[in-house]
Amino acid sequence: MQSFSDWLYATALSTTLRETSWVVPGLQSIHILALAFLVGSALVTDLRLAGVLATDVDQGSVIKAYFSRIFNALLVLLLSGSLLVLIEPGRTLGNTLFWTKMGLILTAVALTWLLKRPLIASEGDAARPVPPYIKLVGWLSLLIWIAAIFCGRWIAYT
Amino acid sequence: MNIEAIFQRIYDLPFADAIRQSSSLFPILESIHVIALTLVFGTIAIVDLRLLGIRLHRSSAKSLIAELLPYTWGAFALAVVSGGLLFSSNAVLYAQNAQFQAKMVLILLAGINMLAFHSTVFRRIADWDAQGTPPAAARLAGLSSIALWSAVIVCGRWVGFTLSPF
Repeated sequence: MQSFSDWLYATALSTTLRETSWVVPGLQSIHILALAFLVGSALVTDLRLAGVLATDVDQGSVIKAYFSRIFNALLVLLLSGSLLVLIEPGRTLGNTLFWTKMGLILTAVALTWLLKRPLIASEGDAARPVPPYIKLVGWLSLLIWIAAIFCGRWIAYT
Repeated sequence: MNIEAIFQRIYDLPFADAIRQSSSLFPILESIHVIALTLVFGTIAIVDLRLLGIRLHRSSAKSLIAELLPYTWGAFALAVVSGGLLFSSNAVLYAQNAQFQAKMVLILLAGINMLAFHSTVFRRIADWDAQGTPPAAARLAGLSSIALWSAVIVCGRWVGFTLSPF
């Protein structure tokens, strides 16, 4: 990993991007803006599953409304994040917190894909019973996103 | 007392000193600030998109605003407290920082935009709430809000590149 990180650091693309002053703040700004869209979508979806917000709208409709938005935001986060890794590989690839963050994101994505997406099928049908564990999934998902943000901010300090 | 002396007194406050002395308080406050600001902009953006005619989980803009506003204000309060504490740790230099000043002006403008919306077109919301596309004044308020809050975030991130923590 160390040698890969060194090689990445020395590539022409990494060097050019690193030496252009506005690139890193620009990419980080895009990363935070996309993060805000993700957090807004996750908040409404997860609190709906937890039974706190928008309880008059059926779960399937709420998940459907935010599902593609969550993945679009994740795509922008992945692209801007990958460029930031490319620019400063040493800060991330050898950092336990970075990999913890990746693990948390994968878990949240898995929860969204495996447990929330199937509920879209019941869109518009408020009478359709939902799994009893879904409240827990909502709280857990929200917690995981918050933990991932904490890890993300701490990468700069470790 | 001149304005610089006020910022110096903020800098000298015991909790500002505690943040400077600690290796973990600043990043903890920053993490809380990031979570708070993404909640602020994330919830505002859902309302702004509805004002632009893009519907997410419910069609009534009035219900959507009533439903999300408490979360926006709660997160905003958290952002102000965490941001205020971060500011205190290096108050004099932050106050002189152009990006920080721009960020404060932009937050003020976003507030004025919100006030203008709530005191004009929002008062007639019953007339247009059922329409998919709100009137031009509401669309303008939504677009301005997204633009202003995005600029706030960009300036905020930029502050960190012009000024290292204390």
